[in-house]
Amino acid sequence: MTELLIFSVLFGAFALLNVIRLIKGPHAADRIIAADNSDLLIACAMILFSLYSGRGIYLDISIICALLGIINTMLVGRYLDRGRWKYESDSEDNN
Amino acid sequence: MRKTTFPAVLSTFFVSYCFWILLTWSWATEELIAGAVVSLAVALFSARFFIHNKAFWFFNPAKFFIFLLYWVIIFPVELIKANWDMAKRCYGGCRKVNPGIVRVPVEIKGDYGQAQLANSITLTPGTMTLDICEDQGRDYYYVHWIDVAETDRDKAGDIIKGTMEKWLRRIWE
Amino acid sequence: MSLTLRIIIDVFLAVGAFFALAGTIGNLRMPDTFCRMQASTCIATMGLLGVVIGGLLYSIFIMHSPSTTVKIIVIGLLVFTTNPVGAHAIAKGAYRHGIRPDKEMEIDDFRRDFDE
Repeated sequence: MTELLIFSVLFGAFALLNVIRLIKGPHAADRIIAADNSDLLIACAMILFSLYSGRGIYLDISIICALLGIINTMLVGRYLDRGRWKYESDSEDNN
Repeated sequence: MRKTTFPAVLSTFFVSYCFWILLTWSWATEELIAGAVVSLAVALFSARFFIHNKAFWFFNPAKFFIFLLYWVIIFPVELIKANWDMAKRCYGGCRKVNPGIVRVPVEIKGDYGQAQLANSITLTPGTMTLDICEDQGRDYYYVHWIDVAETDRDKAGDIIKGTMEKWLRRIWE
Repeated sequence: MSLTLRIIIDVFLAVGAFFALAGTIGNLRMPDTFCRMQASTCIATMGLLGVVIGGLLYSIFIMHSPSTTVKIIVIGLLVFTTNPVGAHAIAKGAYRHGIRPDKEMEIDDFRRDFDE
């Protein structure tokens, strides 16, 4: 089915479009959002290419890709939040 | 720090074992034993973060059915409506935005219900939960809304939450 | 393979591509950071949902491969459960870091309650 390959290339092109925002975004938050979107779109493209080529290995890579994207996003979010790793209620419990 | 209890470990073990079987999808004995060992280790380490009370809630069939109904029918309807609205806004030149952050009240009690309502609000494009706070015995979300149609907090809450809160209260209470 | 099934799969993939393009355009052209986050939710929900449903139909009815089906379901569940968590973290972090929209907001309760 050729359409799978066509749509896969299309999603890859959308991921490349998101890279524009990744380069020129004024803040770190813009950049990490664009990186997360690019990551998700590459995962979609990899699903479609895996179905087209019939190899299961791309699906495993796609799972890992989506998983690492979310970890990146949460790390940068916590970093922007002035390094506040704990909420106030937790610190009250410890003291 | 919360204590690790036995029902919490058992329930987490069951869910992670199902997840292992889904991922490997083979019924060889070695795979099953390795999966059991790994999920037991994962459950021992992480049960206290996942489960605080009512460990076996998830295995109640009636509530699980409503849970599935919510995620298969009720939520996708809201999702498609919000997505269509957002797509019109994006293709129409991205000029029709009127953003604002509203504090809306929440009626659901309990951690799981509140977390699920916050995730549902974030997943529908157009509204995004920033934070949760407690004020005089009631819980409030801070919701970033891309098109503020109503500045009164209670009516805004009704518009934002839609039918989702009613169904989630039916599940979690 | 039957032509009807092929057309159905194509429709699902096209819907996914439509909303992914909407999210990409919004990400490129929206005026401030929070609006860009809102627009990019389209990619994670409908874009991925279209691809997942199309891929599920393809793997069930044409490939007949259970492991592929299960892996696609796992990807969908994973993204749907973890994406909003990252969105909360990045939105709150951006607001507390001092990123504000260029235009004044219509109503801003967060600044009113936690005035710095």
